[in-house]
Amino acid sequence: MEQQENLLSSENVTKVKNLLALMESGELEKAQDCLDQLSEVRENEMYQEIGKLTRELHDSINTFGLDDRLSDIAEDEIPDARQRLAHVITMTDEAANNTLSAVENSMPLCDKLISETRSIEDGWKRFSNREITLSEFKTLSNELKSYFEANTACASIINENLNNVLMAQGFQDLTSQIIKRVISLVEEVETSMVNIIQLSGNTSKVKSKDDEKDSSGLDGPVVPGLETKGTVSGQDEVDDLLSSLGF
Amino acid sequence: MAIDTKMKILIVDDFSTMRRIIKNLLRDLGFTNTDEADDGTTALPMLQTGKFDFLVTDWNMPGMQGIDLLKHVRADEKLASMPVLMVTAEQKREQIVEAAQAGVNGYIVKPFTAQTLKEKLDKIFERIDG
Repeated sequence: MEQQENLLSSENVTKVKNLLALMESGELEKAQDCLDQLSEVRENEMYQEIGKLTRELHDSINTFGLDDRLSDIAEDEIPDARQRLAHVITMTDEAANNTLSAVENSMPLCDKLISETRSIEDGWKRFSNREITLSEFKTLSNELKSYFEANTACASIINENLNNVLMAQGFQDLTSQIIKRVISLVEEVETSMVNIIQLSGNTSKVKSKDDEKDSSGLDGPVVPGLETKGTVSGQDEVDDLLSSLGF
Repeated sequence: MAIDTKMKILIVDDFSTMRRIIKNLLRDLGFTNTDEADDGTTALPMLQTGKFDFLVTDWNMPGMQGIDLLKHVRADEKLASMPVLMVTAEQKREQIVEAAQAGVNGYIVKPFTAQTLKEKLDKIFERIDG
């Protein structure tokens, strides 16, 4: 609008009148000059308009949040987070396997202790009731001696296994730290996304959560505090549901 | 009711730790004759050898999922009557109903306890004997 008013300024009107007069009187060179001056006015306006658009674009880009931070996140921190999460899987896997190995190694030792205890129990009872012969006592005595030795050895291995179980729990601390970092990254991305959506003015239609969810895939474990529509809350409800189906 | 603890059980889960847990729990209940597979695709040919009497399977696995394995088992003349226990993290009502309709014999949601596993196994054998 402003430019159009400039175009109609009295100065320009005079120039056009001059041009007309010069053309009518056949003064070609002066008419040419006059025409140049007029087109210069036109060009200046175009440059001003382009300049203004450029400035607006620059401002938009800046306020858009498309600064270094977002590209950092996209280029480095997301792949980094992915690796960290993969490491969480590795650590939990190791911890679970170490714990399972320790338990699997201990169980037969416990069974062995139980069966050995049972095997000498009878002899010991008879000894307590003074129903034992001297040669039987000698055998029992030897059995007891080896039982004590085996017992100590078993217990110390079980102790070591329990220690391994204990140490394996260290994953909780480490994985929590990693997951917390990833959560804060996700929060940052979320904030940036919201800003971009607001700036682009496309706030009219934000889909409801239900619409967005992919209903075809499997959901996996229910996470407390998240959407649990259509799910059961535990084994009791599974049993109720199945018995209502005639199970 | 005498449960045959010598029966051969196939444990199917994509996580080796879960397979180990189930294997240990079963051993604790006296079932020492177990084998493992990491998804339906590897489990099905094992089952088709006819060496197994019982199937414990997860639902969500790469390759063939547990529900499809169950459907294959029920569709196979030789395997159709095999008891199938599903042990899974899937807790959607519609999924539990789907498994029931596909002919599952028991459904356990993760995380579960040794007691739950025992109860469900007892119940399955009770029904088979009855």
